[in-house]
Amino acid sequence: MGLRSYIIVRILLTIPLIMLLLSIVFLIIRVIPGDPVLLHFERKASEEAVEAMRQRLGLDKSLPIQYFEYLGGLFRGDLGRSMQDFSPVSEQIFSAFPATLELAICSMLVATTIGILLGVKASESYNSLKDHLIRAFGIIVYAMPIFFLGMIFQMIFAINFHWLPANGRFPPRLTEPRGMILFMNQPVGIAVWSFMIGLLCLALHVGLLRMKGVRFWGQGSTISLSHFMIVWIVGFTVWIVGFSYAQLNMSGVVRVSTGLFTVDSVIEGNILKFVESLRYLFLPSLTLGLVLSGVFIRLTRSNMLETLRLDFVTAAKARGLKESTVTYGYALRNAFLPILTMMGLQFATLLGGAILTETTFSWPGLGRYLVDRINFRDYTAIQGAVVYFALIVAVVNLIIDILYAYLDPRIRY
Amino acid sequence: MAEKGETRGLLFGLIPGLKSLAERGSAGWMIIIGTLIVFTILLITALGPFISPHDPTIPNVNPPPNPSPPSANFPLGTNLLGQDMLSRILCGGSIMIQVAFLSVVFCFLIGVPIGLLSSYVGGSLDKTFTLVMDSFYAFPGLVLAIAIAAMMGRGVINLALSIGVVYVPSYYRIVRSQVLTIKELPYTEAARASGARGRTILLRYILPNVVPSIVVVATVNFADAILTAAGLTFIGLGVGIDVPDWGWDLSKGRELLPSGAWWVITFPGIMIVLLALGFTLIGEGLSELLNPRLER
Amino acid sequence: MRKLKRSRRGISPTIIIVAIILIVIIIIGSLYALQIGPFAPLVKTELIMGTTDSVESAIDPAQAYDFFGWEIIQNIGATLIEVEPGSAATADDYTPALATDWTTSEDLKTWTFTLREGVLFDDETEFNASHVKYSFDRNMEIASPDGPQLNMEYDAIIDNVEVASKYEVRFNLKIPFGPFLGLMACQASSIVNPEYSGGWKTAWSVDDIVEYTEGDARASNTMDLGPYVLANWTRVAGKDHEMRLEANPNYWNKDSGYPKTETIIIKFYADATALRLAIEAGDIDIAFRHISATDIEDLKDDPDLEVHEGVGAAIQYMIFQEDPLPDLPQLNDPRIRRALAACLDRDEVVDTVFLGQYSPLYSMIPTGMLGRPVGTDGPFKVLGDANYTYAKSLLAELGYNETNKLEIVLWYETSGHYPSSPDQAQLYKAQFEASNVTTVTLKSADWPSYRLNRNDGIMHVFLYGWYPDYIDPDNYAFLYYATWLNHKYVDYNATNNYLAMKAAYDAARASTNETERIELYNELEGYAVVDCPVVPIWQGVAYAVTKTNIKGVYLDITQTWRMWLLYEE
Repeated sequence: MGLRSYIIVRILLTIPLIMLLLSIVFLIIRVIPGDPVLLHFERKASEEAVEAMRQRLGLDKSLPIQYFEYLGGLFRGDLGRSMQDFSPVSEQIFSAFPATLELAICSMLVATTIGILLGVKASESYNSLKDHLIRAFGIIVYAMPIFFLGMIFQMIFAINFHWLPANGRFPPRLTEPRGMILFMNQPVGIAVWSFMIGLLCLALHVGLLRMKGVRFWGQGSTISLSHFMIVWIVGFTVWIVGFSYAQLNMSGVVRVSTGLFTVDSVIEGNILKFVESLRYLFLPSLTLGLVLSGVFIRLTRSNMLETLRLDFVTAAKARGLKESTVTYGYALRNAFLPILTMMGLQFATLLGGAILTETTFSWPGLGRYLVDRINFRDYTAIQGAVVYFALIVAVVNLIIDILYAYLDPRIRY
Repeated sequence: MAEKGETRGLLFGLIPGLKSLAERGSAGWMIIIGTLIVFTILLITALGPFISPHDPTIPNVNPPPNPSPPSANFPLGTNLLGQDMLSRILCGGSIMIQVAFLSVVFCFLIGVPIGLLSSYVGGSLDKTFTLVMDSFYAFPGLVLAIAIAAMMGRGVINLALSIGVVYVPSYYRIVRSQVLTIKELPYTEAARASGARGRTILLRYILPNVVPSIVVVATVNFADAILTAAGLTFIGLGVGIDVPDWGWDLSKGRELLPSGAWWVITFPGIMIVLLALGFTLIGEGLSELLNPRLER
Repeated sequence: MRKLKRSRRGISPTIIIVAIILIVIIIIGSLYALQIGPFAPLVKTELIMGTTDSVESAIDPAQAYDFFGWEIIQNIGATLIEVEPGSAATADDYTPALATDWTTSEDLKTWTFTLREGVLFDDETEFNASHVKYSFDRNMEIASPDGPQLNMEYDAIIDNVEVASKYEVRFNLKIPFGPFLGLMACQASSIVNPEYSGGWKTAWSVDDIVEYTEGDARASNTMDLGPYVLANWTRVAGKDHEMRLEANPNYWNKDSGYPKTETIIIKFYADATALRLAIEAGDIDIAFRHISATDIEDLKDDPDLEVHEGVGAAIQYMIFQEDPLPDLPQLNDPRIRRALAACLDRDEVVDTVFLGQYSPLYSMIPTGMLGRPVGTDGPFKVLGDANYTYAKSLLAELGYNETNKLEIVLWYETSGHYPSSPDQAQLYKAQFEASNVTTVTLKSADWPSYRLNRNDGIMHVFLYGWYPDYIDPDNYAFLYYATWLNHKYVDYNATNNYLAMKAAYDAARASTNETERIELYNELEGYAVVDCPVVPIWQGVAYAVTKTNIKGVYLDITQTWRMWLLYEE
């Protein structure tokens, strides 16, 4: 099976997985005792009022019909209306998601950086005191309740020393970064942005090719400059098309905004906002990242230990290559694939941990949304949030699996 | 899987005593330390009601103003209600341990039989189960636990169930992968050839070989279950306040954080960390003993 | 060997990474320092208020019944009359707002208001009597079961609203109603702009409630006659995130210099801890509502901050459900309820949970209100606090003693709807059990389930609280026998006490004579102490923390901020 068909099969397999989860969530919420409609009333209400509310909440229809409407809604990106305030759940989730995404990305960065660095260090001096200390560190952070670690950080860095903010995502006195507004009649803006997107595509492509071991220069280089040009042009086109499409929808005004405060403040070109958003991001992502790093330490260490004993590493050493070149250039690259897989697997854990982190640091993301709504017994919102979590995890896993297959030619189904 | 015999030997190796364990290097030490921690905590929790200096649920054993920092009379200080933190630490583990234990039992009872059956029977049954389990496995465990706990309401059993559901797939997967390997071993083949029935093969030949891996998963799960239980309590889905509970004290302490009452969160937090740490150490040690690939 | 040695000298990637990070930090840090230094002094025409409250669903007076929704309505809406800021909201404390003058008939059933002329809505139409009629008709007819017409019984009080002339409106009541001015001054009586409330029509339904509309603050609210207009309202993840109130150019009292601050920004915080840290760090100018008792004590010592202590009208009480729960002891005998009430130790609760900031409450009519001057105790004082001898003797009559203990289930809520409920519950449990003849099981539920349980009447003993709708004993005294609180009180205690209480209440309602009303309420409470269907526990205090230079803070008994009076010195 070629790569293309593998990807197709993998996507096809994801669909029943998601469907299954959706149905389970739907059922759990319907099966539990108690009538969610009644939760809505300040005082005991009349039959008609209850019926009217049932209708308003869409719970008057039979279960199968509700189920199909729910599925139908999902395909349109509609997760129903909140039982608490009747606003569209998808709108609420979309407004919460960037915060969670930003936290997740940063924590993943922290976790992998700490994990790989310490893991490599431990493997380099196998069975020494250093190795044992690093392993102990990995196990202890693994056994830390996220919110406990978070509270300790808050206590030390925010409350005692006032170095970093303890709560929230952005200082109240500044307006939140909202990216940049572009007008279509600004050719310079378009050119700049297209160029940057092209550059991004290029970087990604080069990165991927490097991982596959493609050499770009020197002896045996397998790639020509035209390759780069093609990628650049593709990036440019994608951007222009997306751009024009957005323009159609938004009457000439395009807001370049990601919802990630760090990125948006850079787009705005406001260094103060960028620093502030980093300051607010620091403690939450450090907390979540540290707790997750345990897994990566262990994984990197054991993989490095295995690779360091492999013939090609021994050979490289024997040839007299620098130790660091051997470790980082040869062995670590070999350990990269398992780490990548683990990133995919840990993403689910990360999102779970994000709930606790967000609650500890009052981070206005999806996790807090879920917790809030549980307090209000807002069933549609809970259902929507859970489904959204499932979708993210499925998509991330899918991407990682495909990347994996792309990078490791041995893996085929 | 030529180490089958060895695996068994290792399990029995736990019994001869600490010495032989300690000789096994870091893995042995991890098990020893982990077991020590776990047993100490279990002991404390069991004896808590008898040795605690004050009744942990009675407010105002210390007259207001509270919370008061550690003092001679209250070595770990008091909380806002004037309850003695030391007594609450001594008595506060029972709910968490019960919940974790029940959830592990629950996972075991569901995950293992399904794993055995599905992998042994194979075919479309196996495919279906694997699909279901994979979809659960890939899902953020805490999200699922929160959703279920919120729906089911309070109580030890409900909490244990909602945590258990999350970890069933781990058991299923480990059992399935082990069975698939063992099924192909000459040992099992021989049993099958000698006319043993499917059930006999499953229970007498395959199950014993799967047990060590399950034990490892169960120990690690115990730690996870404790952390999840603490997390659920933190979010407000805990069991209740009738009985002292580290998770509750920890989440309650958050309100007192800005006033500098560090003792209210530190001690319950440390207890939870220790308990989870103990089980993690045991699990890590065991898995290293069972998979001695890295031993040089 | 030589090669190996050389390799050691090579720079390891870790160092490179660390160096890059350091350089980036230094560059950013220096830029940061150059760009701002300490916060640039802003020309202040705005104040930032932080709160942990939020709008429960909408800020439509026909639907809102939550604390913060009313807070906003107070500042963006206008009523016919207002309560003088800082007053005790007695009958003399009402000041003209949209109405300049008012009269009532002898029988208290007809109230006539003369309206202010020349007041403009934001679409430049002039406010007149038809708008008043429109607002009240709409309020009463919107069939929202959550709406004020149900909770405040508009329907039971107002018969119809009549446009007498362009600038005169007449309310014809169904019953003689003394505290009608209080009702007219409360937020649910705000005048709405028909353009934004479903248009001119005579029939409304629940779908006409104006709810939050993403990105459109004007379409999210019905009012524009108040001192401020709602300029921005953002929700993130369905939770209030930021609100921006800007001075209303059409405000009727603009010429007197109100509002004093042009812009009020409201920031919503997730919990009390976050709010406290924000005001401490100077991120916000005003912090209001639900800063915990310990935090208040700490902040009192902060020289940059001022802690304002307001009059509290919020009360908390305990209800003994008279209900034939199959497996629990009946609480139908008043002696059980009196015994349980005598076990409570209000001072301990107030001192422990609220660090002495709140005050014990011995009457459902809180101190500071008509007939309850500060410094007086209510009728429940006679039962005593932690009066275990009395409790034991009563319970002994009913056969409960150390071996045969009375088992009760005490419920509390966990969503933070009332302050520190779990803490309180633990104390009450200990207090009941200290009598040695009672055992208590604690049970809890999140707020919506708790409310539902209350509606279903399945909670044995439970904690509940009350914030006033309008400032009058009339809005409190009925709690003693309200059937939505204590379902079977009527059925199982169809004694004369219930009827006598109701009669006294109705009589007090139909009178404007203060002495007579006080006497009637005293009579009512006399019966209440005998029956103890509901037992008052504490009366809260409203705390606000501001920077020391914020002036114009009035934390009076109305429990609402008059933001138009706020200014920074």
